[in-house]
Amino acid sequence: MVTVKINGKEITVEDNTLILDAARDAGYEIPTFCYQADLMGIGSCRMCLVEIEGQKKLQPSCVTPVLHGMSINTDSGTVQTARAGVLEFLLANHAMDCPVCDKGGECELQDMVHKHGPHKGRHAEPKFKFHDKDYVLSPVIIKNSNRCVQCMKCVRVCREVVGQNVLGALGRGDHQEPTSFFRAFMNCEMDGNCIEVCPVGCFMRLPYRYKSRPWDLKSSDTICPYCATGCRMVIEERAGTLMRAKAQLGVGLNSETLCARGRFGQDFVNNPERINQPLVRRYGKLEPVTWEEAISHIKENLTALDGDKIGGIASPRLTNEELYLFQKLMREVLGSPNIDSSSRFSPDAVEGFVAATGMGEGGVSVYDCMEADTVLIIGTHLSDENPVIDYIVRRISASRRMNVIIASPRAMKLDSSANIVLRHNVASENAVLTSLVIGLNEGKLADTLKGMHEAQLDANLKASGVSADLISTVVNRLAASSSIAIIAGTDFLRYPEGISGLGLLKDLLKSRGKKVTVMPVLDRANQRGAWEMGVHPGFGPGYSETRKGLGTEGMLDAAMKGELEALYVVGSDVASMYPGDDFARTALSKVGFLIVQDMFMTETARQAHVVLPGAAHAEKDGTYTNQEGRAQVIKKLLTAPGRAKQDINIIRAIGESFDRSFGPKHFALVLDEIRKEVPSYADVSLSFNNKRNTDNKLDNRGALVKAAAAPAVKVKSFNPASVETSGARFILTTGNHLFHSGRSSMKSETLLGLLKGAVVEISEEDAASLGLKSGEKVRVKGANFEAQMTLLTKKGTKSGVAFIAENFDDAPVNRYFRRGGGIPRVDIIKTI
Amino acid sequence: MSRKGFDLFDLIKKVLFTDFVKGLTVTLGYNISKSITMRYPDEEKWIPYRRFRGLHTLNRDENGRELCVACELCSKACPTGCITVIPEENDSGRGIADRVAKVWTVNLVRCLFCGYCEDACPTRALRLGREYELACADYSCTLMSRDQLLVPQPVPESIPGGYVVKSKLERTPQGIKVTVDLSKFKKRSI
Ligand code: SF4
Ligand code: SF4
Ligand code: SF4
Ligand code: SF4
Ligand code: SF4
Ligand code: FES
Repeated sequence: MVTVKINGKEITVEDNTLILDAARDAGYEIPTFCYQADLMGIGSCRMCLVEIEGQKKLQPSCVTPVLHGMSINTDSGTVQTARAGVLEFLLANHAMDCPVCDKGGECELQDMVHKHGPHKGRHAEPKFKFHDKDYVLSPVIIKNSNRCVQCMKCVRVCREVVGQNVLGALGRGDHQEPTSFFRAFMNCEMDGNCIEVCPVGCFMRLPYRYKSRPWDLKSSDTICPYCATGCRMVIEERAGTLMRAKAQLGVGLNSETLCARGRFGQDFVNNPERINQPLVRRYGKLEPVTWEEAISHIKENLTALDGDKIGGIASPRLTNEELYLFQKLMREVLGSPNIDSSSRFSPDAVEGFVAATGMGEGGVSVYDCMEADTVLIIGTHLSDENPVIDYIVRRISASRRMNVIIASPRAMKLDSSANIVLRHNVASENAVLTSLVIGLNEGKLADTLKGMHEAQLDANLKASGVSADLISTVVNRLAASSSIAIIAGTDFLRYPEGISGLGLLKDLLKSRGKKVTVMPVLDRANQRGAWEMGVHPGFGPGYSETRKGLGTEGMLDAAMKGELEALYVVGSDVASMYPGDDFARTALSKVGFLIVQDMFMTETARQAHVVLPGAAHAEKDGTYTNQEGRAQVIKKLLTAPGRAKQDINIIRAIGESFDRSFGPKHFALVLDEIRKEVPSYADVSLSFNNKRNTDNKLDNRGALVKAAAAPAVKVKSFNPASVETSGARFILTTGNHLFHSGRSSMKSETLLGLLKGAVVEISEEDAASLGLKSGEKVRVKGANFEAQMTLLTKKGTKSGVAFIAENFDDAPVNRYFRRGGGIPRVDIIKTI
Repeated sequence: MSRKGFDLFDLIKKVLFTDFVKGLTVTLGYNISKSITMRYPDEEKWIPYRRFRGLHTLNRDENGRELCVACELCSKACPTGCITVIPEENDSGRGIADRVAKVWTVNLVRCLFCGYCEDACPTRALRLGREYELACADYSCTLMSRDQLLVPQPVPESIPGGYVVKSKLERTPQGIKVTVDLSKFKKRSI
């Protein structure tokens, strides 16, 4: 601890604190351009100069640490003159086209000059210009370098946080231009974090170009509806149209970062294809009706049905309140235990995963995980599925000594931050984890057991395709670490065999006295919330014991046999997500009465008897629980189009038609009831996430849910996933794409602009041996489906693995899968 | 200090009708002086000075490009919030920059002709002109849009104003219209 004097005020701070941070702690504001807490300090802009007594020259406070006894002046006459001087120089070549610039009104340079600047310039020379016209860097980024203040935040964020390294500085001095390699069109993550950090209007978003001024926008502080990272964002609208989404420095776990989906994918809300009135099927055609007619039609058709013959599937993109009411409607009003929240994962796998990752034990913050000595990331393509977690891992692992171990069949951007990469076979998470367990046990085992274990180890090594050396390095690192974090992804749900290995490893490490934290990473915004609200056939709210029912698969089976009389689907497109060619479609057509509540006319909705128009996240209030177990508030900004309603109101209206007292009647009251019914949510509050962290401590641990009372979930053992035995060369895996996730991203114009048609990704070596190049059109041929798509190659992906994201309309990947069949194999053939 | 009772001076004033004559000279003086009544709109119309704040105009540069860059500063400065600007990108050379107004409307019913908007305009695209005949019998004239405001007003900038010109009132099926002949003007003191 050192004691320093700032503007005469004595304060004590930690050693090595920057003068800037110390001054901010003491309550003095120092203007900055190039300083950003998460980025490497470079001290390039000189806005933050302060005077230190005894030193002749002013010092940049953002890179100078405090020394004991320093006396610092942050606001003396010299400092003020220096600031004005710095700004005068910045403006010497600045374009000064504020009226045209999209940043006008929220520009840090404008504000700074207004506050500290010389209000008159002395430079009469002609200004230096990089270029005349703004140039487009990518489908979402447009650049004007004439406005640059050379703070290098864009370059640093791209390298240090995003890890993409596509930006750099061309030239020197005031002719230095941060841009892509020779201003070429970029093929990058398109996350726009460079736009977010740029203090001036150099990097601008193309979709928002010349649309509005910041003062026209109404905003609401909400949560991203795509993956379960739960990024805080502000969405803004003008005249009923959602204009943009942006992150806020020092707010939420993501701070200033978002991914492409989050920053550019919110415009699905504006899509003109939204359903805006209730429809009822009459004489084979869906016809518009009033809400009263629709609800009474539903009531007529559901009354007198046996609860066991009704099913309900709700999307994990609904709010906790909606999901809670949904299961309450199903269980208490309609008397049905058949509830599910996913059409992709089996309920047993979910239960095992919940148990193995310890979701019932309360929330785990990603920042807690990143404090561990070793982080093992397995079962997820983190860089594509949860990009912001990828940023966090990259940033923190670069700033402290720790091991990052990544196990995945596919190469990912984060590999460059990993100490060890285990490139294992598809669906062999269990073999990898079991090898680790055996390896960790090695020392303790008596020689007698050795032979047997070796045989087992060999079998597992063979199954995983990972070398014994790598496994033993990982084992050594695990053994040497006192705290270990496991980040486990959705592949465990696709190939549930790995769940038992995960549970085993966790227990073993714990029994060795190590601190083990397991964090699930999920791909739907409120997937964890859906499970915790009891939208699952095996457990009720708070993982409580409940009457077991059928999951999606069971319901479709029953439907196929004609035993399902009614099905209520909220926001889920079962028909196009469920594996198998036409199975779900046929099954749905046999359901006696199908109610679909959605934003868009999905494949499922087209088959419905009643279609109810629901609302998007921007049109409702409520809470989402992210993968960490952080319950966060989403806020209404817009009104649902036409006669569409918030889903909570629709669910309640249906409930009320049976029982007038069905409720509670308002989302906040529903949350109150959840707090009472689900003990782990007792402390969830609507005001949690609306705090701003001035010190950039992003983690708001207070928002994490607590442990459940007695979670009724068990780790089960699952059969190994089988792989089809056709002779085809590639094993097909699926998941989310960086630009797309689920169905709603396919309704976002901007995301479609980034990637519209389906792509299949294989390793570079495989492509080379097939004589194919990245970007070529290929046919992907499976046993029961084939489609044409574009080939992408990735360096370092396991040979023989092909990946197609699960949401492309032109190549519905679910059709390659066969219900009950193993993991499909495909061939990739060049189209002529 | 006035004495009570008889006042000789007062009596003389009353006998000679002094006050009456005084009043009458004013009346008769106006009778023979030049009339200040303007035969507006049938014969004459007042052309205000340049500083007058009338109907908004949107201007072009010497090459005919719109000066407005849709920066929205006018709408931000407006105390009544009666200007709506929606920008768009247009590279065709319509404006001086690639940012032009897609929508530019002013709500004249709300406008108080304070001129803040013209002060705020960085490109001098927006000026309050000298058009003041803004009444109409329906709502058609309450919202003025970009297209209407880009049409040059009848009184050009080159005319200093501050005088009366010859005018004519025309009744057309579309309504009434005052046409002026700017070449015939008389100075008038007001
Ligand atoms: S969008 Fe992201 S990856 Fe692309 S240049 Fe900007 S920061 Fe880098
Ligand atoms: S482009 Fe923006 S973020 Fe990058 S150096 Fe210039 S001012 Fe800084
Ligand atoms: S990481 Fe996930 S939650 Fe965050 S912006 Fe991207 S899609 Fe949204
Ligand atoms: S004159 Fe005043 S009230 Fe009228 S539009 Fe301009 S700023 Fe608004
Ligand atoms: S009239 Fe002037 S102030 Fe108004 S938007 Fe156009 S350029 Fe900006
Ligand atoms: S903020 Fe300190 S030098 Fe830029």
